[in-house]
Amino acid sequence: MRRAMPGVVSGALAAAVAAAMAGCAGNGEGLDENGRPINGGPVPLEPTFASIQANVFTPICTQCHTGAGAPQGLRLDEGVSYAMLVNKPSAEVPALMRVKPGDPNASYIIQKLQGTAAVGGRMPLNNPPLPQSTIDVIRQWISDGAQSSATSPDTMPGLMGVSPAQGEILNTAPQEVLLQATTELDTTRLTPDNISVVRSGRDGSFAEGNEVPIKVLGVQVRSLQPTVLAVLLPRDQWVPDSYQLTIAGAGSAPAIDLAGRAIDGDADGVPGGNFVMQFELGGTL
Amino acid sequence: MIGRIWLALLCLIGSGAALAEPYFAVQQGVKCVTCHVNPTGGGMRNAFGNTWARTVLPAHTIDMGAGDQWNGSLNRFVAIGSNLRASASYTDVPNQDSQNSFDVNEARLYLELTAIENRLSVYLDQRVAPGGSINMEAYGRYWSADHSWYVKAGQMYLPFGIRFEDDSAFTRTVPGINMDTPDRGVEFGLETAQWSAQFAVSNGTAGGPENDQGKQYSARAEYVQSGWRAGASYSLNDADAGQRQLAGLFAGVRTGAIAWLAEADYVTDEGFAEGKRNQLVGLIEGNWLISQGNNLKVTAEYFDPDDDVDEDQQTRYSAVWEYTPIQFVQLRLGLRVYDGIPQNDLQNRKLAFLQMNAFF
Repeated sequence: MRRAMPGVVSGALAAAVAAAMAGCAGNGEGLDENGRPINGGPVPLEPTFASIQANVFTPICTQCHTGAGAPQGLRLDEGVSYAMLVNKPSAEVPALMRVKPGDPNASYIIQKLQGTAAVGGRMPLNNPPLPQSTIDVIRQWISDGAQSSATSPDTMPGLMGVSPAQGEILNTAPQEVLLQATTELDTTRLTPDNISVVRSGRDGSFAEGNEVPIKVLGVQVRSLQPTVLAVLLPRDQWVPDSYQLTIAGAGSAPAIDLAGRAIDGDADGVPGGNFVMQFELGGTL
Repeated sequence: MIGRIWLALLCLIGSGAALAEPYFAVQQGVKCVTCHVNPTGGGMRNAFGNTWARTVLPAHTIDMGAGDQWNGSLNRFVAIGSNLRASASYTDVPNQDSQNSFDVNEARLYLELTAIENRLSVYLDQRVAPGGSINMEAYGRYWSADHSWYVKAGQMYLPFGIRFEDDSAFTRTVPGINMDTPDRGVEFGLETAQWSAQFAVSNGTAGGPENDQGKQYSARAEYVQSGWRAGASYSLNDADAGQRQLAGLFAGVRTGAIAWLAEADYVTDEGFAEGKRNQLVGLIEGNWLISQGNNLKVTAEYFDPDDDVDEDQQTRYSAVWEYTPIQFVQLRLGLRVYDGIPQNDLQNRKLAFLQMNAFF
């Protein structure tokens, strides 16, 4: 004998019906095209990173490529997307860069957008392909060198950890530390000689004198404007511990920008001061 | 009536598992595990599911004689399956040239290797097109002797809500748990006569490598009666990039020839640049079984991307006629109308499609 439908089913149905039927689409009043409250006028689509971020990455790609569960670890949120793309090997085909400046045909993002990638489906997945004119704008940006947005000469030269981020706890050893500067740095100063990585000696402190140095294998400059660099680390020296990366912003050979200003590593608004970031490696090695 | 009789007979001799798309389960009053190898539904069909798809689902059945019929099992230890979806579509986006194209939406190959019959197996779901091959699911599963519980470990789709066939539904894209985002972890499941429940712990990286200490915890429970079902889901992704919580209710009910499905989910995501957003999605779907092999699916969906922002809501309405002319082939003729804020063209597109789905 069939049981009567209880209140919980009616409630769930009612909630879904209310959500699906009672709601109409918004009229968009006071919003930009991304559905966010207007903060400045619309940005026309043109071959600049800021424009592509505003017209493509934010409104379309971040429907999935955002936050903790971003597919393939690729976050395209404003602020981190540039370092995640330019000269960064793709997760699906590591031999290809997601964006290879000057070479759109060899840039994995173009292959994914055009549906010619060797792995996986065409992006945006389960949505109509981007118009060819939009893809052409992205191609043009890559052909032009895949520069980031221009920064003011007054911008203080600083650094930010992208992957891992400051304080991030990792379960697997990183092969590199990806950093992004606020402006263009003098890359001749970005060498293993003025970059140090140590681990704490398993006490979580970097002032006990028992720190263990980690050899920096090299520095790859992934882009110039702004400078994105990858600090390359060895595969075989990792143990669960706290790690600290330091880039000299003071001393005899500080990292400097093209104007000769030392980096504001300690973010106090004044040039000078070491850039220090820490991260942890968990216990699953 | 004949279909019902067939189903009753198959239930008597079947493995105790259920049917294919979620509306099939509601129409027939059974659980997902009746027809699918995967207890949470989707993917490879078991012998019962293939037999049902061959005998009950189609409008007409091509008689293959008295010999062996396809049920996916090569022998007691090896079973295979596949899906191919190919379509012709027309997309109209305001202020853009319309697009029309032939596409291979997806082709999948399934393999189940059984080491201990009905107890221990390895399952693989490989998407081989479009593009190159990519693994979607790969896990080992152990069933208890009475099939009241199981544990599986590897890469799998996480349990959450109703596993609709349409991965572009708001209830699949916004929570971010769908057939494109498997994750690596462990799932424990309970299957009783009326209850189906799962709890999973996974990396929370949508199949990518682990990048932090936090994990994703997903739970789903469903109570199933012959004429209706109801359930709830919850998922917490505790990640450095921002904590993300999903909570949802779902239900299904059969009223005569119509099977109704509904789901409402609330998403709290701290991973946005400006901080936290609260999002709401809702879906209601009616499936009218016009006659054997003919189903009309009508769906209404709602999406509020940020409950702190007014007038940003989106809706989507779909009508899809599903015709299964012969066993293992379905034709789907559909229209989807998106409605969103007027300044976003993509949120106001229209899509028409004719899709062929071959499955066995």
